[in-house]
Amino acid sequence: MKSAGNSADAMGSPNKTAFASLRWLRRSGVMTQLISLALIAALFAIGTEGRSLSWANIQVILSLAAIPAILATGVHLTIVIGGIDLSLQGTVALCAVFVGLLAQNKYNTNDVGLWIIPISIAIGAAAGLLTGVLHTKLRIPSFITTLGMSFVLYGLAVFINQSRIISLPDDRIQTFINAQPFGIANVVLVAIVIVVAVQLFEDRTRIGRHLYAVGGDEALAKQLGVNVDWVKIVAFTIAGCLYGLAAVLLVTRMGTATSRAGLNLLFPTITAVVVGGVSLTGGLGGAKNAILGATILAILNNGMVLMAVNPYAQQAVNGIVLIVAVALTLDRKKLGFIK
Amino acid sequence: MTTTDTNTDSVVLSMRGITRRFPGVTALNNVEIDVRKNEILGLLGENGAGKSVLTKIMIGIHQPDEGHITLDGQEIAPKGTIEAIKKGIGAVFQEGSLIPNLSVTENLFLCHEQGFLRHGLLSKRQMASEARRLMAIMKLSLDIDQPVSMLSPAAKQMVEIARVLWLSEKYGATNPIVILDEPTTVLNDGERETLFSILKDLKTRASIIFISHRLQEVLENCDRIVVLKDGENVTQMPAAGLQVADVEQLLVGHEFSGDRFRENEQAAPGDKVVLKIDRMSKAGAFEPLSFSVREGEIVSLIGLVGSGKEELCRCITGLEKYSSGSLTINDRSPQIGSARAAVLSGIGHVPVERREEGLALNMSVADNINHLVLDKLKKGGVINGGMEKDHARRWVAECLVKTPSINAACSGLSGGNQQKIILSKWLSSDVRLLILDHPTRGIDIGAKDEVYRLIRKFAKSGIAMIIMCDTLEEDIGLANRLLVMRDRQLVAELDAPPGRKPGPQDLIKLII
Repeated sequence: MKSAGNSADAMGSPNKTAFASLRWLRRSGVMTQLISLALIAALFAIGTEGRSLSWANIQVILSLAAIPAILATGVHLTIVIGGIDLSLQGTVALCAVFVGLLAQNKYNTNDVGLWIIPISIAIGAAAGLLTGVLHTKLRIPSFITTLGMSFVLYGLAVFINQSRIISLPDDRIQTFINAQPFGIANVVLVAIVIVVAVQLFEDRTRIGRHLYAVGGDEALAKQLGVNVDWVKIVAFTIAGCLYGLAAVLLVTRMGTATSRAGLNLLFPTITAVVVGGVSLTGGLGGAKNAILGATILAILNNGMVLMAVNPYAQQAVNGIVLIVAVALTLDRKKLGFIK
Repeated sequence: MTTTDTNTDSVVLSMRGITRRFPGVTALNNVEIDVRKNEILGLLGENGAGKSVLTKIMIGIHQPDEGHITLDGQEIAPKGTIEAIKKGIGAVFQEGSLIPNLSVTENLFLCHEQGFLRHGLLSKRQMASEARRLMAIMKLSLDIDQPVSMLSPAAKQMVEIARVLWLSEKYGATNPIVILDEPTTVLNDGERETLFSILKDLKTRASIIFISHRLQEVLENCDRIVVLKDGENVTQMPAAGLQVADVEQLLVGHEFSGDRFRENEQAAPGDKVVLKIDRMSKAGAFEPLSFSVREGEIVSLIGLVGSGKEELCRCITGLEKYSSGSLTINDRSPQIGSARAAVLSGIGHVPVERREEGLALNMSVADNINHLVLDKLKKGGVINGGMEKDHARRWVAECLVKTPSINAACSGLSGGNQQKIILSKWLSSDVRLLILDHPTRGIDIGAKDEVYRLIRKFAKSGIAMIIMCDTLEEDIGLANRLLVMRDRQLVAELDAPPGRKPGPQDLIKLII
C-alpha cells in the first residue's frame, strides 16, 4: 500500500526527526496560522518601526485577544460539528444584564459576590441548552435557530434592562483580571486555561472526539452509533457556558453592566474562528485554532491603530480578512452547492 | 430445517425462508443461506438479484418480513448495525463507512472507546498501541495517525475489516462474520493479492461473506458459493471444481424471454450521426475511446461499477470535465464540463437518483413537465398560465402519468410515475440525445413496460439514446447496439438487431 511505503521511507531517512516534527506541525492544523501570525506581526513591526513589538504593546495585544478568544472557543465548538452559533450577542447581553441586576440587588440583603461568575455561566449554559434542544429536536437548521435565539435573548435583555447602565459596586473581579502577578494580565491566563481545557476535552474525551465525527459525516456517525443529538446539545451548551463567562469578564472590565455589552461581538468572533483555521464545513480545527485566530485579529487591529489607519478602513480590512480566510480554508469538495 | 448440508455442526449463521418485500417488488423470496465456521462464502448474483438486501438483513438495516435467522443455534433479529456488530456480524460496503477527517485510530474505535478511559480521559497511548496491534494482525504497515481520507481505497477497506474484527472480539463474539461487498472493484492486482492472502489468514478465526462480480476470483478464493437470481436462491454449493461457465449459466438462469422489451417496435436507426465521441478520455476514469450514436439509435453501455461507464456519462452530460478528445452533438461542441451547455445543445439526462437529481420533488407535475419549455409557453413576453396547463395536460395524457391533478406535488407519486414525468419533460423539449441511467430501477413491472414504450417512442421520433440498465437482459432487449466497457476501456461493440440479439452469456465473458 502506497501510504505505508511513504511513511516507511520517511522513517528510514537521516532527516527522521526533522520530518517527524514537520509532519506533527502540519497535522496539528495550526501551521498556516502560525505563519500568518508571524507575517502579520513582522509587517506591523516594520510599519511601526518596532513599536508594536514592545513588551508593553504585546501585553495590550494579549489583553485585547483574551475575551474574544474565549468567545471564539465557544463558537468554534458549534462550527466543528458542522453548524454555527449566531446567538452569542443575545446570550452575552442577557448575562450582562443579570450580572448588573444581581450585583446591585435592591430587593433583599443577600450579596451575590463572586457567585456572579457561576450564575452568569449557568445562564449562558441554559441559553445554549435551549438552543441545542430546539436545533436537534425540532430539526431547525442551527443557522436559523441561533439567529432567532439571538434576537429573543437580546430582546429579553433589553426588556429587563430598559437601557439603564448599572455600575458595579464590587470591584474584586475587575482587580483580579487586571492584576499581573505573572507578568501578564490574569484575564489572559484565564483565556489560556479555558482554551487548554477545551482542547483537552476535544482531544481526550469520547464526546470530544464525537464532535469531529459528527462534523466529518453526520449520517455515517449516526450509523456507527454516535448519539448525534446529544453531541450537538453538548456543543451548544458548552458554548453557552463560555459566553456566560465572557460576559462577566466583559462587564467587570468595563465596570458597568448594560445590555449593550452584547453588541458588535458576533462578527469579530466568527472572523477569529475562521482566521484560526476552523473549517466552516465542520470536522477540522480545535480550541487552539480559535485562540490563534483571536490573537491574529488582535495584532491586526492593534497594528492598524498604531499606524493610525482610518477607523472606517479598519472595518473594511476586517471584512476582507474574513472573506479571504474562508476562501483559503473552506473545503469546497465537500459542498455540493453554496447556500 | 430442510438443509442439505451434512455437517450442520459447523454452521454459524443460518437464514431460513427469508422473504422481504418492498412496495411493488419482492426483493427476497424464501431465501436460504448457511454460513459456516472458517469459510469464505461467495455470494453471487446480478444487480438487483437481492444480494445487498440479504446482507442488509444480516446486519440489521432491513428486517425480514418472513423467515428466521439463527446465530450459533439461537434465533436473532438484529434491529440495527450496532446490535449486529455486538453479535459479531459486520459489513464493509463499497461506499465505505469511515469518517474522512478522523485518524485511523479514531475510526477503529469510534463509539466504543470506553475501554480506553484513564482518569476520565482517553489514553492516546493505549489507543495507539491497540491500533498497532490490529494493524499487525492485518499485516498492514500504515501511519495510524493520519486521517483516513489520505488512505488508498485498499487501506481503507483493511481498516474497516480491522474495525469489524476488533468490535466482535470486544463484544465476545467467538466467530465473527465479516461481509465484504465488492471489495475488489476498487483494487489493483497487487492489492487484490494482498486482500486475498489476508482473507485466507482471517478465515482461521472468522467467516467471510464475499460479494464480487469477478467470477474467477470468487471461484479461486471461496470455499462455497451461493447464487441468487431475482430474489430467489438458485443454489448453495462448494466452489471447488466449478468453472466460470457453470456459474455464468447459474447467474443468468432461465432462457432469454420473449418480447418483454418491445423488441418488435425496435426501429433501425437513421443515417444522421447525433453524437460523436472522438478519443475522449478522463484521467483516472477511462482511457481514450471513440464511438458515435445515430438518430433514433439506442446504444447500451455495459460494464461493472468502476469500468468507467458512469464517468463517461457524466462527461457527456457536462457534470464532469473530460481531459482529452472531443464531443460533437449535431455538429456542435458544447463547452466542456458545463451541464447547462450540454442541455442547451440537446443532451438530456435521466439520472438514477431520480428523487434527488431528476425532479423538483416539491413542485407540481405541471411545473416539472414544463421546466424546459417555459420559453415556448409565453404570450406577450410573460409565461401564460393557460398554455402551461394545456402543455402539461397533453403530456400527462401522452405518457399515461397517473396523477390526481397536474397541480399535485411530484413527491407523492410512485417511482414509475415520477420517471414518466422526467421522460415527458425531455420528450417535450428539443432533446437530441438522452442518457438514461437505470431508467427502470425500483419501479414495478407494469410501469417498466410503460417506460419501455416511451423509450421506443423516443427512438422513433429520432432521439438518440445511451442507456445503462439494471440487468443484462434489459440492456440487450432495448438496445440497437451494445458497447462494453471493462477496466476503463471500451473493449467491445456488438450489434443487437431484433431477432439476432446476443445472449447474456456472450456479454458476461466480455464484462468480467
